[in-house]
Amino acid sequence: MNPEFQKALDFSKYQQTLNVKIQNLQDRAQSNLTLGYNGGLFLVDQTLIAFVKTLIDFKRIADVVLLDSNQKPILIADLNDFQTEILDRYFTVTNQYLEEYSQIKKQRSVEKLLDD
Amino acid sequence: MTKGILVFAHNNRDIDYAKLALYSARLATEHLKLPVSLVTDTSTIEWMKECGTYDRSTELFDKILTVERPAPTNYRKLNDGKEPSRVLFTNQTRHKSFEITPYDKTLVIDADYLIFNDNLNAYWDLEQDVILAKNVYDLSGQDRFQYLDSYISETGIDLKWATTFMFTKNEKSKIFFETVKNILENNEIFSQIFRYNYMQFRNDIAFSVANHICNGFQEVSNYTLPAITVTLDKDKLVDVSNESATFLINDASGSRLGDYFACSVKNTNVHIMNKKSLERLVSRQI
Repeated sequence: MNPEFQKALDFSKYQQTLNVKIQNLQDRAQSNLTLGYNGGLFLVDQTLIAFVKTLIDFKRIADVVLLDSNQKPILIADLNDFQTEILDRYFTVTNQYLEEYSQIKKQRSVEKLLDD
Repeated sequence: MTKGILVFAHNNRDIDYAKLALYSARLATEHLKLPVSLVTDTSTIEWMKECGTYDRSTELFDKILTVERPAPTNYRKLNDGKEPSRVLFTNQTRHKSFEITPYDKTLVIDADYLIFNDNLNAYWDLEQDVILAKNVYDLSGQDRFQYLDSYISETGIDLKWATTFMFTKNEKSKIFFETVKNILENNEIFSQIFRYNYMQFRNDIAFSVANHICNGFQEVSNYTLPAITVTLDKDKLVDVSNESATFLINDASGSRLGDYFACSVKNTNVHIMNKKSLERLVSRQI
């Protein structure tokens, strides 16, 4: 086989492994951003964080009803507590995501990607 | 309210499910911090004693529960990488989860479902009697699933997955499991009504039909467990640790079975369809 083409095939295998790694990281981050709270299930994303901040700015803090990711109404007794929890979850997950993503991007061989 | 996990294992001549259950239970205990009970049968227990895994099982499992072993009537084709075989599929006891569970809230997992994180703990407090998984995700990113991995048949309802499910022991969930039992016992009749292939009994299909019936013959937006990440039986598990697994993935873009590329997952729950490759690795670790 043409050595240049063999090189391309080897790179293709590396790229497949890398793609799976990155997709797996994305899925894991998404999954880790799912928060069970007071009988509901919330996806902690920018929209939820912004909405909660808006409600707090409008002084709607005690006994607030939020629709969860399944559109079910969930009573949040103290929105400040909820905000603390979602921010904590968001930063923990995204910081870990960044750290692992940065590590993966540095790896230049299949072996190193598998070890990581 | 007590919470716990059930793992089912009925050995056959090809696969030592009890060994797989021992390993998946160890991972589940470690990551979910909950007790795990084994549901099995007397002949499997005898084999566990003979091959020396029973003592380890009594240490690891909260309880070892026995049910009657169903007659060997259900078979399926399974690959071990590129090697195909026809194996016995003893899966007809899953509806007994309700009557046998020692817990108020129960998570049931397949013996070949490896838990590497605590994400399922977010689902315990949801106010829903039975929670099934709706979606599967091909770990390879190649979307090698077919239409019948999303629907029970070409004209049928959505397929739910019984690889992982959670239930609260109450009157409503009792009705659900009795419906599953009814489907099992009258599979051919239900297959004609719901238009699915009855030649091989699948819990996924029985649970999907029971779910559809119990929801008033409608698709409703219930909570579902996280998508199940799956590797196919054409893939090979080559390494596994407490937090990660490494695979040779059958390359769907390759021209033949046996073209592989490597990949690994970390802190991600994964369903291993190639049970033989899991059994080989687990044997070394127990």
